[in-house]
Amino acid sequence: MTLLLNQLINGLQIGSIYALIALGYTMVYGIVKLINFAHGDIIMVGAYTALLVMTGLGLPFYVAIVLAMAVCIVFGVLIERVAYRPLRSSPRISSLITAIGVSYLLQNVAQLIFTPTPRPFPAVFSVKPLVIGELSISFITILTIAVSVALMILLQFVVRRTKVGKAMRAVSEDMGASQLMGISVDKTVSVTFAIGCALAAIGAVLYCVAYPRVQPTMGSLPGLKAFIAAVLGGIGILPGAMLGGFIMGIAESLTKGYISSQLADAVVYGILIVVLIFKPAGMLGKKTREKV
Amino acid sequence: MSKKMRAYILNILAITAIFLVINLMIDAKILSRSNRSMLMDVGIAIIMATSLNLTTGMLGQLALGHAGFMAIGAYTAALVTKHMTVDIALSFPLGLIAGGLVAAVFGIIIGVPALRLKGDYLAIITLGFGEIIRVIINNLPFTGGAMGLIGINRATTFSYVYVVMVLIVISLFTLGRSRHGRAIISIRENEVAAESTGIPTTRYKIFAFTLAAFFAGIAGGLYAHKMGTLSPATFDFNKSIEYLVMVVLGGMGSLTGSIVAATVLTMLPELLRFLADWRMLIYSIVLILMMLFRPKGLLGTLEFSLVEVWDFCAKYVKKAFAFIKKHLPKREQKVIMPEVPKYDYANFNLPVLETDKLGIRFGGLQAAQDVHIKLYDNEIVGLIGPNGAGKTTVFNMLTGVYLPTEGDIMLLGKSIVGKATHEITANGIARTFQNIRLFKSMTVLENIKVAFQTRMHYSVLDGVLRTSRFNREEMGIDLRARELLSVFGMENVADVRADSLPYGQQRKLEICRALASNPKVLLLDEPAAGMNPIETEELMKTIRTIRERFSVAVLLIEHDMKLVMGICERIYVLNYGRILAQGTPEEIATNSEVVEAYLGKSENTEREK
Repeated sequence: MTLLLNQLINGLQIGSIYALIALGYTMVYGIVKLINFAHGDIIMVGAYTALLVMTGLGLPFYVAIVLAMAVCIVFGVLIERVAYRPLRSSPRISSLITAIGVSYLLQNVAQLIFTPTPRPFPAVFSVKPLVIGELSISFITILTIAVSVALMILLQFVVRRTKVGKAMRAVSEDMGASQLMGISVDKTVSVTFAIGCALAAIGAVLYCVAYPRVQPTMGSLPGLKAFIAAVLGGIGILPGAMLGGFIMGIAESLTKGYISSQLADAVVYGILIVVLIFKPAGMLGKKTREKV
Repeated sequence: MSKKMRAYILNILAITAIFLVINLMIDAKILSRSNRSMLMDVGIAIIMATSLNLTTGMLGQLALGHAGFMAIGAYTAALVTKHMTVDIALSFPLGLIAGGLVAAVFGIIIGVPALRLKGDYLAIITLGFGEIIRVIINNLPFTGGAMGLIGINRATTFSYVYVVMVLIVISLFTLGRSRHGRAIISIRENEVAAESTGIPTTRYKIFAFTLAAFFAGIAGGLYAHKMGTLSPATFDFNKSIEYLVMVVLGGMGSLTGSIVAATVLTMLPELLRFLADWRMLIYSIVLILMMLFRPKGLLGTLEFSLVEVWDFCAKYVKKAFAFIKKHLPKREQKVIMPEVPKYDYANFNLPVLETDKLGIRFGGLQAAQDVHIKLYDNEIVGLIGPNGAGKTTVFNMLTGVYLPTEGDIMLLGKSIVGKATHEITANGIARTFQNIRLFKSMTVLENIKVAFQTRMHYSVLDGVLRTSRFNREEMGIDLRARELLSVFGMENVADVRADSLPYGQQRKLEICRALASNPKVLLLDEPAAGMNPIETEELMKTIRTIRERFSVAVLLIEHDMKLVMGICERIYVLNYGRILAQGTPEEIATNSEVVEAYLGKSENTEREK
């Protein structure tokens, strides 16, 4: 029982990080229909920034988060501007390949600057874990889950209730029509990338606290998993990304705890395949029928 | 000598020349061990890229798990040669074939559920399958697990790779230019239209996917016996991406593009080795710049043709060819015309198409109910009604796009309810669409040729091997297609891309394509939409000509009353999914209920009641 609860809580922790990253994928997909393969590497950018700020400049954790967000936003907006915007009207597969190119580029630049050797991420909190009976929950776990849930609620609010959110929804429905309604598509897309990257930066720092190793290719795996989480929930749908993230995290953690850590990935992909076969547009996705 | 013949000879010469030169260089020790290894890698990459091009370029389905099939082929082939106690000269080819076959079996297993998805969802599910294959290989008892499989006989030589690669590329090439290739490409262009011109789309999708898996499996076998060891980690997601990059960079759908891209991208990292840490950086920058400046890839969908280059630079060589031609045996080939279906005319006075209490319900919405339509041979009948009355829904039921929830449809006395769209097309109903659905990037002629699918018989093997059956049938449909075009006065645009035609001609081409399958019933969905009065006038003439020349019954949906009243012998009026009235144009024009449905009640009539 304790093991089960522990695994569930671990799953929630890693799941909420996946959810944060998945939100970036899903928002970008929703608006420009691009699988942004470079999103995972933004995690790496955020992680190195936080690491440098904390170990190099000796600044506190909270400052590191803010700076990591700032740097990731700059990267994200810049990448969109330089690499994706010129291809907006090209075949979608071209921008997909460009995204892969950007991903390789970020990894290789990081490799040149920081060398491939992993660096340890400093321990941040020395707060005692919360003990309930036999169960002990570390502070960072509670913090991760709380921060993620708060951010998701905030994001929902932004998208549903604010003017920029309305613009984002409009652009994702019909780019041409929104333009005619006086919405600046370029600006809206930039804002979307900025929000996605800010969330990824927070996810990155939380990820580093949980797995304290920073290296140039560290973003690929959580990136890929977060992306699968987004698809699982129904890509383009915000609550879907959150749901997908939590399911992925819990499934992974339960497989690791009860079956074998080697098979964790297979189980995750297996769930994805089963879900897609029965719900071809993801769990919360609506089946759209091509009008004949 | 025909251009085709010249192309054959030139290509054979070029292929042999490359083979001999490289082999001579290997014998003379000009090429180092690592050079040779690189050339084998190039060959394997070409097989992987061209086979992926079949799925992603020609079929248009984004697949991200191609390396998984390669892994299956590699492990199967390696296990076969390791455990078979016969000489490697025999077990190696057997292993390769086994590798291909097992990969193909997995292609079917994965393809059947995966190909029901579209676009990015298909990409992700193939990614998922690819990764699962890797994890499973990692955990199987007989694959060596994460440690890898070692001690595989290193039987792969350059000649082996080269010959296998040439065979695969040639068969992909010839397949692509057969009716089967056209069918596959038409699915990429417009799946709905492909199905309703008689292409069994599901079957072709799975076929293309499986064939690509088969070739990838063979490439895997070659790879295994080149390396001597295998590790599951090699075949991860990044490997699949690597091949996808080759396909896109070369140009989707262009096999020669894939060949060039595979060659360059495999050699580049080796040649840039002196740049050490910088080479991957340069690779990624090249990738981004390439896409920014040539978003459609190196060659787009064009193919590099040796014979075009040759003709361009060496006209005088023709004399030499003329000499060869004189001494080649001549062979006359009899053309096989596309089959003309024999429709059962025994009951001449019975309707060719009849619906009985036809209806469909979408959830809570009854979109059509109790629809009785009779269509006699050689009749032109109109189906009219206000917007949203359910006219197109009726068409969709007639063609099997929607499955009716009640009632029956009889075509020539036989029920067709529950049949797939392509089967209904083969049985004699053809249609056009409200919003034009052409195979846009194919030529006008090719658009029509796709529609002969249901009336042709040569097999995939005939297409790949270009047997005389292939040639004779292809000549037949070429003649028929041009003939059909000339009826519509479009023979001069036969080789133009379909999407570059003006609007009116696109509509005509759609009708032309529908007629190619030689239907008994032709359904036209708003043929005059967007036409000006002169074009409409011309269209009326065309429809009458069609009826006379092709002896079809025409059922048409139209809002243009001048057209409807002008050519229809009978008219059905649909309102709120039910038949409101039927009769001759005069009867309909004076029917008060019909007028009311279109224009609403006048205040006077309200008061009178």
